[in-house]
Amino acid sequence: MNAQRLGRGARVALPLAVALALCVVWEVAVRVTKSHGLVPAPSGIVAAGWTLIASGIIVDAMSGSLERVLIGFAIGGALGIPVGLAIGSVPALDRMFRPVLDGLRSIAPIAWIPMAILWLGVRGDAALFVVAYGAAFPFIVNASLAARWVDRRLIAAARALGANRWMILRAVLLPGAMPMIFTGARIALAFAWASIVAAELAIGIKIAGQGRSVAGIGQLMVETLYVKRDVDALVFYMLVIGIVSFVIDIGLRRVQRRVLPWSAG
Amino acid sequence: MNPIVELRQVGKVYVSARDGATVEALAGIDFGIRRGEFLTIVGPSGCGKSTLLSLIAGFNAPTSGEVSFEGRPVTAPGPERGVMFQDYALFPWRTVTGNIEFGPQARGLDDATARERVRVLIDMVGLRGFEHRYPHELSGGMRQRCALARMLANDPTMWLMDEPLAAVDLQTRIILQDEILRMWGDDDTSGHRARPTVVFVTHGIDEAVLLADRVLVLGRRPGRIKEVVDVALPRPRAAMRNSPDVAHLTARVWDLIHDEAAQAITDESR
Repeated sequence: MNAQRLGRGARVALPLAVALALCVVWEVAVRVTKSHGLVPAPSGIVAAGWTLIASGIIVDAMSGSLERVLIGFAIGGALGIPVGLAIGSVPALDRMFRPVLDGLRSIAPIAWIPMAILWLGVRGDAALFVVAYGAAFPFIVNASLAARWVDRRLIAAARALGANRWMILRAVLLPGAMPMIFTGARIALAFAWASIVAAELAIGIKIAGQGRSVAGIGQLMVETLYVKRDVDALVFYMLVIGIVSFVIDIGLRRVQRRVLPWSAG
Repeated sequence: MNPIVELRQVGKVYVSARDGATVEALAGIDFGIRRGEFLTIVGPSGCGKSTLLSLIAGFNAPTSGEVSFEGRPVTAPGPERGVMFQDYALFPWRTVTGNIEFGPQARGLDDATARERVRVLIDMVGLRGFEHRYPHELSGGMRQRCALARMLANDPTMWLMDEPLAAVDLQTRIILQDEILRMWGDDDTSGHRARPTVVFVTHGIDEAVLLADRVLVLGRRPGRIKEVVDVALPRPRAAMRNSPDVAHLTARVWDLIHDEAAQAITDESR
């Protein structure tokens, strides 16, 4: 059958059917081998998800994590955008600071966790530090590229139309840099979300040991692994993490299309 | 009457930032542009046509000699010298209205005056109904009209046009030629209205002859003035598109640059 002749319904229905079939095979395999408990099963994941949603646990954990991601993302942007624009437009600054920044960028944000815990404690500030650190670099990289790649002809056109330096900065350089900064923001948010899960997983062990209430999705996963041993819930968390990052990216693209309708994002 | 632009022994050498190699784009250009004339510049590719334009615009400084506008040396671009770029150079984040408004805003005109000016221009270039479109939503011809209106918004006394019609199809080019002529004042033979001074760089020799009062023919790199051809044909020109006089002059200009153009092709592939 020709793929192009598939109707709109079939294009949605076919992949869904494949996914569903895989789930059925998975479920049957787990039941036949009686391995449920060590291996998660689709039915168990649905049941665990239902309980976690109904009890509000997942919503609490998610909002805790998301809050930290958004604050860290904002800090990363507030630091990264000006730094990136500065080194992108002033070659001397670029020569001075780029090696240092590249060096720092090479250190995985997760590697800062022990240090962050030492300085900031386990309550969440350590995770926030890691998130802001991870988010800052995509902002720096993209903002510096954006500043360097601004179309010289547009600057020439603005000068010929009588624009002074301030108007060129405000009405040409900044709007010209926006699409690439937005792309940087999408990468930064993906980094931030990945870092928060890792940071909370690392920090979570300590919290779980002290029997404190759960602070974020990472801590929840640690607790589920070491205390409850509930593999179905673990897979459910994984799904939620994936869905949330997907939704965040779609949201940012929507925002870009709304704020920068001229850039075909 | 004094020329509006004077070029005295103008030369321009570019130095490559990468390996320090030098390219001599223009040499010994000595020429005066008359107030209100339509001057077209033709020449083989790489002869420095666009360089000459950007020196008058003030984007670059000459390496030797002097460029002056209204008796004063050109040191920077200015709104009295409007520029139209080959590939439009419209601000992609501004709508048609926003692009046309840029000049009045840059010069600090108040909003009401600027808006009225933009409204008139949009009608003049036939973009009514497209005011809120972004450049990427416009056809090539419409972008060019928008670029024309953006330049006109500052009421420049000079129009510096760098191959403005190179990127549009033939029919659109003919229509836009007629529009540029009309806005310049081609059909105003009364002499009451002061026409702007136009410097129009083009690859199209027929276009150069049809539009111009004088055709400045440049030779191969480094660009020197090969000849200045007077186009002593009556106006309005829009009606003369198929006249034998235009064809005759076109053939003459082509003869002037034919050998050099052929040589330039082999030079470039070397």
